[in-house]
Amino acid sequence: MTERRLVLTVNGLAASLADVPAGERLLDTLRWRLGLKGTKEGCRTGGCGACTVLVDGESSLSCLTLTHEVDGCAVTTIEAIASDPVGRSVRDAFEREGALQCGYCTPGFVVALTGLLKERGRSAPLEELLDGLQGNLCRCTGYVAIARAVRAAREATA
Amino acid sequence: MDRLRVIGPVAELEIFTPGTPEEALAAIRAAPEGEVAVLAGGTDLLADLEEERSRARRIVSLRRLPWRTLDWTGPSLSIGSTLPLRALELDPGVRSRLPGLYEAVHAVGSVPLRHRATLGGNLARSAPASDLIPVLLALDAEVELFAAAGVRRLSVDRFVRASRVTAIAPGELIRSIRIPEARPSAFRWQRVRLANDISQLAVAVALSPSDRRWRVAVGGIPPRAIRLAEAATALGTGAPAEAAVRRAGEIAARAVPLVADRRASEEYRRRLIGTLLARAVASALLPREGVG
Amino acid sequence: MSAAKRPDAAVKLAGGAVYGTDLEAPGMLWGALVLAPVAHGRLRSVDLAGARALDGAVAVGPDDLASLLPGGGGDPERPIFPRAEISYRSQPVAAVAAPTLETARRAARAVRVDAEPLGVVADLEALFPEWPGSEAERSPDIAAHVHARHGGVEAAFRDAETVVRETYRTASIHQVALEPHACLAEVRDGVWRVWTTTQSPFGVREDTASLLGVPEASVVVEGTWVGGGFGGKGASLLEPYALVLARAAGRPVRLALGYREEFLLGRTTLPAVVRMETGVTAGRIVARRVRLLLDVGTSLPGRDFATGYSIGFLLGPYRTPAFEVEGYAVRTNKPPFGPHRAPFAPQCVFVVESHLAHVALELGLDPEEFRAAHLWKEGDPTPLGQPVGPCGLAAAFEAARALARRWRAEAAPGQGVGIGAGFWSTGTGAGGEALARLDGRGLTILQGEREIGSGSVLVGLRAVAAHASGLSPARIQIEYADSSRAPFDSGVFGSRTTAALGRAVEEAVRGLLTRLAERMGTVGPVTLEEAGDGLVAVHRSERRSVEELLTPEERAAGGLEASGRHYGRAGSIDERRVVAGTFYPYTDFTGSVHVALVSVDRETGSVRVDRYAAFQDVGRLVDEGSARAQVEGAVAMGLGTALTEEAIWSEDGRLENPGLLDYRIPTLGEIPPLEITFLEGFRGAGPDGAKGLGEPPIIPVPAAVAAAVRAASGAHLTELPLSAERVARALKLL
Repeated sequence: MTERRLVLTVNGLAASLADVPAGERLLDTLRWRLGLKGTKEGCRTGGCGACTVLVDGESSLSCLTLTHEVDGCAVTTIEAIASDPVGRSVRDAFEREGALQCGYCTPGFVVALTGLLKERGRSAPLEELLDGLQGNLCRCTGYVAIARAVRAAREATA
Repeated sequence: MDRLRVIGPVAELEIFTPGTPEEALAAIRAAPEGEVAVLAGGTDLLADLEEERSRARRIVSLRRLPWRTLDWTGPSLSIGSTLPLRALELDPGVRSRLPGLYEAVHAVGSVPLRHRATLGGNLARSAPASDLIPVLLALDAEVELFAAAGVRRLSVDRFVRASRVTAIAPGELIRSIRIPEARPSAFRWQRVRLANDISQLAVAVALSPSDRRWRVAVGGIPPRAIRLAEAATALGTGAPAEAAVRRAGEIAARAVPLVADRRASEEYRRRLIGTLLARAVASALLPREGVG
Repeated sequence: MSAAKRPDAAVKLAGGAVYGTDLEAPGMLWGALVLAPVAHGRLRSVDLAGARALDGAVAVGPDDLASLLPGGGGDPERPIFPRAEISYRSQPVAAVAAPTLETARRAARAVRVDAEPLGVVADLEALFPEWPGSEAERSPDIAAHVHARHGGVEAAFRDAETVVRETYRTASIHQVALEPHACLAEVRDGVWRVWTTTQSPFGVREDTASLLGVPEASVVVEGTWVGGGFGGKGASLLEPYALVLARAAGRPVRLALGYREEFLLGRTTLPAVVRMETGVTAGRIVARRVRLLLDVGTSLPGRDFATGYSIGFLLGPYRTPAFEVEGYAVRTNKPPFGPHRAPFAPQCVFVVESHLAHVALELGLDPEEFRAAHLWKEGDPTPLGQPVGPCGLAAAFEAARALARRWRAEAAPGQGVGIGAGFWSTGTGAGGEALARLDGRGLTILQGEREIGSGSVLVGLRAVAAHASGLSPARIQIEYADSSRAPFDSGVFGSRTTAALGRAVEEAVRGLLTRLAERMGTVGPVTLEEAGDGLVAVHRSERRSVEELLTPEERAAGGLEASGRHYGRAGSIDERRVVAGTFYPYTDFTGSVHVALVSVDRETGSVRVDRYAAFQDVGRLVDEGSARAQVEGAVAMGLGTALTEEAIWSEDGRLENPGLLDYRIPTLGEIPPLEITFLEGFRGAGPDGAKGLGEPPIIPVPAAVAAAVRAASGAHLTELPLSAERVARALKLL
């Protein structure tokens, strides 16, 4: 009954994966099997948000997701986030507002905010967007520039 | 290119993703007890696996079961056990008719975590710090257990036994959680950090429109969240006077068995009960559209 | 705003930046460390057989070092694996590598460590209940003892009208760089090569060579993008283990910490107890006495810098006619103490500011007036007799008081306003060198240092080179090289990169301009201008193409090169005031004064910071955007120290909360609106008067928040962090 082959759509391309061990996390599949290292490994226990990716458009913690659980799903990572118009706006807002320093938490923030804007649409109040990013930790920026980027991205997608 | 792998070649774990409840039960039955873990979201289970706290050798995932449901029937709500918490949070009916449930769901982890975590998973894992169990207690929620022989219902109060211990029997799966009626309700917690944290103490209250009586539950305390009948009685019927709220808080503070751990001392938890109870009652009584 | 757009934004936003955790090599093995199971114990044996039985696994323990290391086993004083005694829980006792991470972890679990538990020393006050005293001075548990005095302190206390005594306690905190430590190592042809996420490639080279007992020239360190440092990546941690594994395996080995291990092995700030005594007569401080008991974990005797360095910060920037300070660095069964953004200074400033405010309130004086009256002026001697240099501290304090008055007038009931003031010695470190290369199109700075996120390399050094040359930052490239090719530098820490390494860059650029001037037949000054794709050298009305000024050999070699070096000079202290131990003079005096407006929940003790302002002495603003970003980040980090962060060590030396859910750094929801004001003109030793900025803005945060909490609620807290439960206790709610 254990599937021997998984088929995922990763960043718009079909990925057919053979012999994925049951315990393999999406984070490791992306980074080590597929070489998509833009998704960052932080705490591996859901506490930092650095590994956030979109699964069927919804933000997900790839460290707490078994790859077998996303068989048949579409996964979007930071590498392709800008091919989505909302993702592009978010990316540009982070760049324009200088909302990054070391950059390690940045992919998680960009993907999580893209997911929120897509999920909640243009009517989402700013407060709800900021609240929705509280699972993403940043140690460099003090979140000030990130909050500016959230505001800018919201206005750009409204 | 020959990419790197983090696991293998000897896989210590196997996974089954059955399409029906019967297949799921068969897959569970086929493995020795204690070596099988049921996956319904997995945000708690995977953290345990990562930190080597789990002995599971076989994972049975419920994601293909048709239980990602949310059904309002008149005043009552039935929540499928594998429905992601985020769907519950975004349901306008939950927010207006069961505000305490909304507040508790919103307090769990983060948005990406709530996209995977489920109510069934939270109940089955029954962590002592669960923010959801106290509000389910205050809402008189029932767990609907599926078995080959049929379905049985159990109150959440009887379902959750202790820290990480439930009344689920071999051959059973949580199919849904039923909340009998919409209720003015509230959930208040104290944490070190506002978000993405574990409550030091949490209080859930609900006022039943049918019997006009309050329900009070306290969580964030090992070994499990508890219902406080005497404190609820002290609140009387309908909107309580200030003195009644204070008395209920005093009763609650005496009634709850508290311990110290690295999150808070016993005295601090005791001190919080009355405050959070009063704040929850005040919040539950705020006028909201569509309650009842 | 003179902010340059971050040159690293595009690559980081595309997910293309390769950090230490992203390193891989063909045929590599995954490494894992075997951690000690007890905090203190006699090591009987380390049995690697179970690990070696696993498919493709390599294991290295204490007995293997002699055969693997050419020098016969490395530094005997600091063996990378303990030989006889385990001195902290999670100390690496062996290392393994395998073809998959899961196998490596399994191999680590299969190693049998037999240790006889010994008594654990973890609690400072249990160890020295009667400190200070000769008992502590003579104890083998003391890694350092420092003692200084001046001005007849006994008589001054005897004659004082009022003496106030208090005891303060501060918590253990962790840097929490989001990227854990990680490296990739390879040993080939006698070269020990490691790619690593580090604040100091040269520091790692020196440390690794010494730990492994191999010549420094045979170790090559190359930096990666760094996912945050904050002091935690300034020395070697994993590199020696990865290299030994690579040597044993004959293959590249990747070694990275999981986040739990990051907490367990991290070198960071440990708890401290401080006793403060202040004598006052007629509203003036006449005597101070400070005693510090600082937990330094398993730091080796003679390797503790923190005690002698930090104790000066406990006296604060206040005139003190008579004083005595005495500090003990106490060895405990915890990992060695390590630096954390302005190491231990925010804690010191919390203690001294809270104490002096308390003294003032006890005497019925205004706490801000009291401090302002004693604040250093330029030229005043520090307690250790060093003259205070140009410093914006007093000006910042005045500006902060004016703002605090406005905020107080607007504050709602339950809110309070507080001020915290501190200073830091910036531009420190062992010095650095730079190489600049000019071709017909632009300027290249060759660097071993990698950008750690602050912008000090990619924005700071480029801005310095631009300022010195006349070019725009866009014409200046930073070229990274490994430690065998790059000029030496001591590291991206100590608020020194732009300020001190910048001076070396400035000198290298000036060297280029001097050479151009010679070729133009003048003594200068020459500056560079951009002309289309090319560059021209300009001296008064004379303009010459740079391309034409280069020799054919230089053009073939890639350009004209010049080097610069800067080994900063600290001031000097009056050694007559030193009784024992080592005290350190300061370099640039850099002032920071913060104002916090907070609300205190009178029922739960919860503190919410509603508004915040920072007044920062910068000497000269090199790049405003980066400077603001440093203050924003430092304030948030300081709020964590002030309110939520605490690594909890049990009595048996176990870290009880090694994870990001139980060790709580601030999230987006805890950050107040922040106003930042820079003070220029108090010149530092950096390029054209600049001062370092990475550390100073974290220093006053806990002090400012504590003062505001007291103003809001009356709660006087003597312990960090100011958790809701501690506030509730101070309010007598419990």
